[in-house]
Amino acid sequence: MARRSPVKVIGSRLVQALPVILLATFMVFALLKLVPGDIAVTLAGDNATDARITEIRQIYGLDRSFLVQYGAWLGHVAQGDLSQSLLTGEKVAVSIGRAFPNTLLIVVIALVLALVTGIPMGVMAAIKPNGWVDKLISMIASLGVAVPGFWLAMILVAEFSLKLNWLPATGAKSFSVSPIDAIRHALLPAIAIAAYGMAEVARQLRGALLEVLSSQYVRTLHAKGLSMSRILWQHGLKNVGVNLLTIISLLVNRMLAATVVIEAVFAIPGLGSLIVRGAIQRDFPIVQGVVFTMVVVVIAVNLITDLLCAAVDPRIEQ
Amino acid sequence: MTMTTRREAMALLSGALASTTLGGRAFAQGTPKKGGTLRISAPANPSSLDPATGGAGSDHAFLFTMYDTLVEWEFETLKPKPALAESWKFTDPNTLVLNIRAGVTFHDGTPLDAEAVKFNLDRNRGDAKSNIKADLLSVASVEVTGPQQVTLKLKTPDTALPGILSDRAGMMVSPTALKVAEGGVVTRKPVGAGAYAFVSWADGEKIVVKRNEKYWKPDRPCPDGIEFSIIPELTTGARSVTAGQNDLIYQLPPRQKAIIERASSVKVVHGPTLYVFQIFLNWAKPPFDNIKVRQALNFAIDRESFAKAALAGLAEPAYMNLPKSHWAYDAEVAKLYPYDPDKARKLLAEAGFKEGTPIEIGGYTDQDSVQREEILIEQLRKAGINVRFVNGTVAEASAAFFGAEKKGAGLLSAWTGRPDPSLTYSLMFTKDAYYNAGRAPVPPELEAAIKDSRASEDIEVRRKAFATVQRLVMENAFVVPLAFQFELVAMNKKVQGYRPNLLGKPKYDDVWLEG
Repeated sequence: MARRSPVKVIGSRLVQALPVILLATFMVFALLKLVPGDIAVTLAGDNATDARITEIRQIYGLDRSFLVQYGAWLGHVAQGDLSQSLLTGEKVAVSIGRAFPNTLLIVVIALVLALVTGIPMGVMAAIKPNGWVDKLISMIASLGVAVPGFWLAMILVAEFSLKLNWLPATGAKSFSVSPIDAIRHALLPAIAIAAYGMAEVARQLRGALLEVLSSQYVRTLHAKGLSMSRILWQHGLKNVGVNLLTIISLLVNRMLAATVVIEAVFAIPGLGSLIVRGAIQRDFPIVQGVVFTMVVVVIAVNLITDLLCAAVDPRIEQ
Repeated sequence: MTMTTRREAMALLSGALASTTLGGRAFAQGTPKKGGTLRISAPANPSSLDPATGGAGSDHAFLFTMYDTLVEWEFETLKPKPALAESWKFTDPNTLVLNIRAGVTFHDGTPLDAEAVKFNLDRNRGDAKSNIKADLLSVASVEVTGPQQVTLKLKTPDTALPGILSDRAGMMVSPTALKVAEGGVVTRKPVGAGAYAFVSWADGEKIVVKRNEKYWKPDRPCPDGIEFSIIPELTTGARSVTAGQNDLIYQLPPRQKAIIERASSVKVVHGPTLYVFQIFLNWAKPPFDNIKVRQALNFAIDRESFAKAALAGLAEPAYMNLPKSHWAYDAEVAKLYPYDPDKARKLLAEAGFKEGTPIEIGGYTDQDSVQREEILIEQLRKAGINVRFVNGTVAEASAAFFGAEKKGAGLLSAWTGRPDPSLTYSLMFTKDAYYNAGRAPVPPELEAAIKDSRASEDIEVRRKAFATVQRLVMENAFVVPLAFQFELVAMNKKVQGYRPNLLGKPKYDDVWLEG
């Protein structure tokens, strides 16, 4: 079985990504144009006349046809320019460059928390299926899936910020300026998102492990007299590695989406807040820029996952 | 302005002061001291920091810190008073002479002289990107008649101008900065002559300004600077104040008051504003083309209860488009529509309007708007009026009602108010005004009265002219005013000297930080 080189794999994946990026940005652009509301009205000011709004459309090129406007945006992107906010004139790349680290930090911390808590829970549940430990963990996991992130977020703020004053209630700090301060700001939102991740990791890992542990070779290992912990750590976890990687990639994508709501609750100026502001004001260069970034991130995460999966399990054909 | 002169001014206005909660107390305690950074939770990213190109009413909270205006107003009554223009005079009805204060410079060192004022006014009324051309429509030319004097030649008499020059149109931008700015706009690099100079703006995140050390008002401003954190979620913004991450939050909805007052570290200040909830009517089509139906609607609403139920009592019942404390308020007009459901029923019968016929009125989808609708439906039902609200987003519902589509017979919305009341009336109650949804004619005497309100400079004469305008608007029942919303500001106890103002757009002129 000849394996293709990773370089070739990455190359072909990037080619496949192009239509996805085109389709996603085009659909979002179309949606923004379809929903009622018009940035020209915002740009024209508080009590604008119809004539003034028409004039604004001409000044900002908003009177051009829908396809021409999308084409113009795409042309800029092809030249590496995400253009600028129609309203405030800030470069979209600058906005995203400032917002993305805030979002990334939350997602990274949330992911670490979800794995650190979810993996032991999944393993413990799988050791004695249907035992009381398993049932307890199942219950916690169900709660984690069911509890809405924004609600948990508000409870966390009420308890840990307003009452105990341990962690800040709102805002974000730059990681490069003060890592500790940045993590303190990101911790509560990360916990709020991690609850779901923890539950998901625990449930999926339990299922995958149970399958492995009930297979023929594990029975043979038992027969050889290997202890349960050695079977688990040396053979079991190794075999669920691929499952775990897949769960992680799905989680990263889900957590990115969850930041839209969580960032609003904590007033974090991240990608989520950025796209919400852009969408509300119909400032389409911002929305397009964020969608573009999100799509690129999701494609990158999926690609890295596939490469890692292939490294862990050589049976997987690229 | 020093404390003494302000206190004197306040003494003169003691009557008006009574209605401004905490207005007197806020500055009576302690001596202002310099230092500290005022951290403010702001609800919206500005649309632009260039006064001529921006559009949102929420921009002023930032603009006022960086740009001084030619004219200012009294906080409690909105009566115009000198600022960058230390005096003004209508030498004849078509000529306004402004004397500009000497020795003031912009943050970049450019002198604020007659040339600079002319440059700004010409830009505001002529530049393609200017959003405030309509404000200065009456100006025919701006002439420099002295090193510190400009003369405005007017096409028609317009005594609303001093009020207009207290808003965007009167915010002075450094001509030097404008000349070198890309596209001739200072959206992202504002340079004014205000109490604070611009430092930085990260979109949707933070705006930072620092004290203008050469500010012309003695001993102002006190804080070293202001940091605005932009937090669109007001509940989150309020939490940032209770948690001590910010010092002050403005534009809170009334329902936040009870919640935020539970925090011992926070005090709440409120006062009336011009912002009025009202039902706009399209009097070009049935059923509101009939004056009796419009009047019936006005009689059918219990405004006292509305203010209590919909706005937690943090509101003043509205019987016209000006609140009690405004200099042009008229107490007689306010008596036109007492709550009287029987009278409403009678008027409907006279109009031949069949009881229970559904009337479609537009509205907005947010939680607070829907609550207001529920209260109105119940009140109107008692007078035999069956209102159906059709809701959309603010942009959508407003455009459908005021724009070409002419959807619905009315719209439950609000009017934000203007520094000079003549604008409020001409924007809503003249034939081709955008906020006259039906573009239907109004009685000629109303058009004439609106014009009259701009003809004299004398405030007593203007007060009478506005009384006529208001009487005609309300007798014709062109609108259903409901309640004036209070400005609700919550702040850390170390914030001193904050006073609400009638315009409802916060100014931090006399704020200082204790400790």
